[in-house]
Amino acid sequence: MTADLHAEAEFLDVARTAFASSDGEEALRSLGWWELLAHLDDPELRPAIYAVFRAQGSELGSSAALGGLLAQPYLEHTDRVAGSVMSAIRRRSKTRGVVWVVVGDPADRELLIDRPGAGATIVAAADVSLRRIDVPGRLPLHEIQIDVDVLPSTIDEACAATARERSLAIGRIAISLEILGAAEKALELAVDYAGQRKQFGQAIGEFQAVRHLLAWAQTDCVALDSTALHALRLGDDLPVGFDAVVKALAGRNGRRACERSLQVLGGIGFTTELDHHHLHSRVLALDGLLGTAASLSRELGLSLRTGGRHPGFPSALLLADG
Amino acid sequence: MSALEKVATDPLHDVRAYAAGFEHWLAAPPDSLRAATAPLPNYADRVSAMAAMMRDLHDAGWSRYGWPEESGGLGGTILHRGAFWETLSRHHVPGMALFEHLEILAPALVAMGPPDFVSQALPALLSGQELWAQGFSEPDAGSDLASLRTVAVAGDGGFKINGRKIWTSWARYATWCLVLARTGTPESRHRGLTAFIVDLRSPGVEVRAIEQANGTDELAEVTFDDVHVSDARIVGHLDGGWKVAMHILSHERGTFAWFRHCFLYQQLTDGLEHGGADSDAQLGDALLDLAAVTTTSHAGLHAHAADDPLGPKAAFTKLLLCEAERSVNSWRYDLDADLAIGVQDDETAMRRQEYLFSRIVTVYGGSQQMQLETIAKQTLRLP
Repeated sequence: MTADLHAEAEFLDVARTAFASSDGEEALRSLGWWELLAHLDDPELRPAIYAVFRAQGSELGSSAALGGLLAQPYLEHTDRVAGSVMSAIRRRSKTRGVVWVVVGDPADRELLIDRPGAGATIVAAADVSLRRIDVPGRLPLHEIQIDVDVLPSTIDEACAATARERSLAIGRIAISLEILGAAEKALELAVDYAGQRKQFGQAIGEFQAVRHLLAWAQTDCVALDSTALHALRLGDDLPVGFDAVVKALAGRNGRRACERSLQVLGGIGFTTELDHHHLHSRVLALDGLLGTAASLSRELGLSLRTGGRHPGFPSALLLADG
Repeated sequence: MSALEKVATDPLHDVRAYAAGFEHWLAAPPDSLRAATAPLPNYADRVSAMAAMMRDLHDAGWSRYGWPEESGGLGGTILHRGAFWETLSRHHVPGMALFEHLEILAPALVAMGPPDFVSQALPALLSGQELWAQGFSEPDAGSDLASLRTVAVAGDGGFKINGRKIWTSWARYATWCLVLARTGTPESRHRGLTAFIVDLRSPGVEVRAIEQANGTDELAEVTFDDVHVSDARIVGHLDGGWKVAMHILSHERGTFAWFRHCFLYQQLTDGLEHGGADSDAQLGDALLDLAAVTTTSHAGLHAHAADDPLGPKAAFTKLLLCEAERSVNSWRYDLDADLAIGVQDDETAMRRQEYLFSRIVTVYGGSQQMQLETIAKQTLRLP
């Protein structure tokens, strides 16, 4: 396991450097990511594929990686290749009902829109009207502006249903890792600041009230890191529903780590002069995709209460597969 | 053919086969296991019931997996022990009551204790015959353990121990106590400590049980007045007690979380019929806290199985376990305030004990503030 951890850390370093030094699309190309994506089932390559999301979060990068990953399980039912199609993400707006969100710049690509019960459709991004979602976070976000229900089905419901389940599970873990990357970076900013900012003649990082706030934020990140990487290692043996556990934990802990970091950064953290607001906004936006922490926690509670077991339950299986 | 031989695959090298075999055997559980699952708010009753159950599980072999053969075990790793207690939790054994030391203290004894002694003491502990206490804290040495003042002075082929220990877990029920005493100068701090195995039946030992706010008497104050200990009863080496203490604390803070959280999970599932839609979010939140413990302590177990302990990272697991302990018990409290104001039948009294305990776990085994300081200093490298 130690060797695996080293490999994961190395992938992450390489991916971070790529996202820090070039734009997201170029970073993916330089990492050979689209070629890697075809090997999602390979336990050796899986950490490298997902490390990109964590790096993208910490470096505030943007790319078509998430849409591409979400589309991957559907591609076997089409003649498309990895990278040419981005999956839109369905969410429910309180006032506008079901809407479709595209994460990353879809230029020159096709969009996959999966409508549960009616199969999936693929359309050229150029053929649909996209409305920009204007929030900080350096994440290009758009809502699709057409009635998706009138589009003809490209992948029938039976095939789409299988792909949908897998897409949701891998997407939740990818988003969780991107939240983790962003939260870790927000914490890093706060830790640096606590070491430099002086009040009462000493660095504020010497005050226990500040130290403990940061230690809690780190604990939030460690819990998420451990749970997300555990899910990656289990791969195909992932208990049903564990992806929801990871995503709920990501939304909850990611937000908490950002809030704790903000408290340490003080007023400067609440300005556009520091990246904290981008990181925080990105975490909020990602919490809103594929199930918020609030909705997933409620669902997990409901399913345990009415159905028995919880996917994260310790078991000899988990023990043996470390 | 014995129960163990019926297992088709090799339980020693395959934890899943071991767990399946144990589960199969438990289809017809011994009476002692049934007795141990009853709510027993009187702590002495619970200790007796657990000791009887452990006797049967030792004799049937199941509890001997995960311990080296030279120490009286059957071989295997800590993963076997993880599966052992997880299985018992699923069979409604409510906790480890006093056998916590199998996962806190015993690993250090096996790793660093005198082999001849350990080969007798471990089976005696596993079978509930001779139990253990941990004599670390003192009235003036709590979080600052290295300032402890109990002294051990050499002479007569051994040492004489004088001093006072407090919060000595399970001393009232124990035969043996692992005592951390000063063998160096008063200023030697952590460099001048030695870990001794002290027979609590020795002349000069006095144990005063401390009744706790939740009604149990797990803890005690122990005084040592010229208590003789043979130098063959040193764990580790002379002045090497800090290493032993750190080994124990790395288990208490790191791997122990796995064992404890299995019981917390069971507390949740056993209380589900009291739940409702309005508390599902709170229940889900508790599940997230438990999942964080599952995965961090799982990593801790594997690290120990690979002989690569967590070190300061165990602080995270300890904090996360406390969070889970609190959220599980908050959920139970919010569903039914009987534990606060209702008639205290055995079941309610047990829930009350668990709830109150969840409010003090942030003090035991290294206070929450000390864990946060460890993280601030060693992980975040704050000034």
